[in-house]
Amino acid sequence: MRTSRSGNTPELLKDLRTLKAAVFHPQDNDGESLTRQLQRIGCQTQAYWPPPQELPEAVDVVFLAVNPESIRLDLPWTRAETAPTLVAVVNYENPTVVDGMLKLGASAVLAAPIRSFGVLSALVLARQVSGELRRERKRVEKLESKLRSMRQVADAKQILMKTRDISEEAAYSIMRDQAMAKRVPVEEIAVAIVNANEILSASGPKPRK
Amino acid sequence: MAPTCPFSEEIAVSDKSPVKVGVLFSETGVTAPIETTQLCGTLFAIHEINAAGGIDGRELVPVRYDPRSEPSEYQALAERLILQDKVNVIFGCYMSSTRKAVLPVVEKWNRLLFYPTLYEGFEFSNNVIYTGAAPNQNSVQLADFMTSNFGSRAYLVGSDYIYPVESNRIMKDLVRQRGGTILAECYLPLTAGVDDFLPVIRDIKKRDPSFIFSTVVGESTRHLYRAYAQAGLNPREVPIASLTTCEVEVEGMGAEYAVGHFTAAPYFQSIASETNHAVLKRYREFAGADVLTNMCWEAAYFQMHMFANAMRECGTDELGALVPGLVGVDYQAPQGRVRIDPVNHHTCLYPRIGRANSKGQFTIVREALRPVHPDPYLVSYSLGDWTTRLDTLDT
Repeated sequence: MRTSRSGNTPELLKDLRTLKAAVFHPQDNDGESLTRQLQRIGCQTQAYWPPPQELPEAVDVVFLAVNPESIRLDLPWTRAETAPTLVAVVNYENPTVVDGMLKLGASAVLAAPIRSFGVLSALVLARQVSGELRRERKRVEKLESKLRSMRQVADAKQILMKTRDISEEAAYSIMRDQAMAKRVPVEEIAVAIVNANEILSASGPKPRK
Repeated sequence: MAPTCPFSEEIAVSDKSPVKVGVLFSETGVTAPIETTQLCGTLFAIHEINAAGGIDGRELVPVRYDPRSEPSEYQALAERLILQDKVNVIFGCYMSSTRKAVLPVVEKWNRLLFYPTLYEGFEFSNNVIYTGAAPNQNSVQLADFMTSNFGSRAYLVGSDYIYPVESNRIMKDLVRQRGGTILAECYLPLTAGVDDFLPVIRDIKKRDPSFIFSTVVGESTRHLYRAYAQAGLNPREVPIASLTTCEVEVEGMGAEYAVGHFTAAPYFQSIASETNHAVLKRYREFAGADVLTNMCWEAAYFQMHMFANAMRECGTDELGALVPGLVGVDYQAPQGRVRIDPVNHHTCLYPRIGRANSKGQFTIVREALRPVHPDPYLVSYSLGDWTTRLDTLDT
């Protein structure tokens, strides 16, 4: 007897029915197979060719035929911060197409001729990869901004310590009191101090950036 | 929408050669009992079609092999049917593992497989027609029925292959939606004997579920139900719910062991419709007075008639021309008026819940009034959204 657990249904699979998909592919056998399979899976699917400059509203995932024709196009939405998940549909594997696929930021690839088998896996994998990438990017941004403000607080403390000849604790407590009085974050006070110092002592030592 | 086939008349007039079709159902091996009924349903339909003049005067000739319940045999024989026997259409397969073995063959040679068996969904091939139930046509209804009548503490036991694992995943989702719990999930080999089920039954007694969901298939089914009865468990308190235990398995174990347990299926022999009575009458004339039918027999039967109708319409059994005449067309099957969906190639069916009775048949306790559309890629099921007639459970 084997006692084991069949997996729970992945959340990504459960979300498929609310997913808006756009197929940017010529209207041929592959384009139609792909569109119909996405409809079977239950995504709200629309198909266009050539790829439009502007995305239809609220598209979550784009299946884009990466071919000599589409590589030439400049598609601003592929670079946007809120770019949808992109799955490249290819029927060449030459360096030009591979390069185009990389530049577009594809998260998965479907090889033409399209079979219904494989579309679901590519879709779910792409959603997973692009979702993780987006979350990681946000985390990095947050950390970078946190790091920046920590540096600024440190710089501001240094300035206060030097100009007033006080201890680090005293410098910080001045900034904190100011922040409380003005009801702004300490980081903002720090930026003000650093900026003022740059102006007042244009010839003095440059604070760290 | 009636498809038009430009050369159909010409072919129908000139060609009186027999039409060979491939038939792949196991007559030996673990799933022989159920697959033999699918074979009977297939041959009975062919007999009816030929008795009525064949397909525009062309005799339908089955070329049949016994794949012995082995996926590799299915694959080899499917290839043989296509390459040596030159068939364009194959009727066959029961276990998902055997369908998965035939699938690449029919895709490679662009032939058509008719698959008359319930399965776990998540498949579409342009080369397959699915005439058994998808999970949204049996699992949802069974989960709804069991949890509302017996409670939501479920114990899952199945055979060790792909269908039970996927079926259990769906059942778990459905039971948990009801705030229920899964007490255990265990798998036994397809060849499991009665001794293998004893520890399972002991565990069931210990954990006291509200019902048992069984995806045990084939010969070992009877061992589960017998071990259950011998342990003194009571179907009124802890019934077994199944998607695969049908009239054949009940006969195999003895009706007394099945009494009181539940099965969800689109067809039971006991359906009291005019069509079912008429088909059963003709089947008795064909096969003898004591015939036994079931959901897989019925799917095998009606899919052959649907194929013949489509071929009459299109004049050919070649996939590209045949499928347009097959999908979207109504057929009055024993279970009700069915239709193959043009987009997903699965079939609109009538979910029913049956409770096994002392005659080896099922008393239908619930049935859909309208056909339920197949949705093989459905993952989020909502319970209680089918239009059903709920009969009073006789006590």
